[in-house]
Amino acid sequence: MAAPFTLRKIGVPPNSANLTEARRRVFDYFRAACRSIPTIMDIYNLQDVVAPSQLRFSISAQIRKNAHVTDPKVIDLLLFKGMEELTDIVDHAKQRHHIIGQYVVGEGLVQNTGSKDQGKSDFLKNFYTSNYF
Amino acid sequence: MSTTFSSSVSSMQATSLATFQKPAALVSRTNLSFNLRRSIPTRFSISCAAKPETVEKVSKIVKKQLSLKDDQKVVAETKFADLGADSLDTVEIVMGLEEEFGIEMAEEKAQKIATVEQAAELIEELVEANK
Repeated sequence: MAAPFTLRKIGVPPNSANLTEARRRVFDYFRAACRSIPTIMDIYNLQDVVAPSQLRFSISAQIRKNAHVTDPKVIDLLLFKGMEELTDIVDHAKQRHHIIGQYVVGEGLVQNTGSKDQGKSDFLKNFYTSNYF
Repeated sequence: MSTTFSSSVSSMQATSLATFQKPAALVSRTNLSFNLRRSIPTRFSISCAAKPETVEKVSKIVKKQLSLKDDQKVVAETKFADLGADSLDTVEIVMGLEEEFGIEMAEEKAQKIATVEQAAELIEELVEANK
């Protein structure tokens, strides 16, 4: 088993010169995030909730949401915010329900089947969601 | 043998250089008269250097990652780009393989992976190095 991965906190690097370097940074960030997944699952006790592959999928989905960006400076800023988020999560500055709400249920990986909704009729379900059905 | 060759060369130089017709003696000297001791195979077979079960595991992960149907053929030479993967997908596949086999790939090597076979070979290299 490889040594556990630790997130090294480097200062803000200078802006990337072109799109290729920005791409490289995105992939580096993605790799760092994926390698921190075992730590994250350990900290927040997500072993029964998600699989690591599902968390990888949600990370890549977040990256893909911004895949249309072409300006290297914008990419740098998005990466900075992403790195901040990742550092917060790894430092246990967030809580379990944050992770589950934002990255598990939020990406549609695990359906939140509340027990109080199961016996209700379809009429009531539609009524609760909107006026027009 | 070498002395006869040099004598025939010198005799050729003595004649005029306008004619490039080689004397018959010189032609026979330049034949390949030595025998090939080993038999060289006439046909190269491109074989995958990685073990089949590694390739199998890699293809399973690739299929799951790219959500391919089970009957889609994934062999050693399949390129990830052909299966509809973009560069982020390729990195994700590599991370999935890292988790599955418990290895860590260096970034430069991982960037070069384009086919299933390259991935399987790199994995085997790292697994061997870990042991």
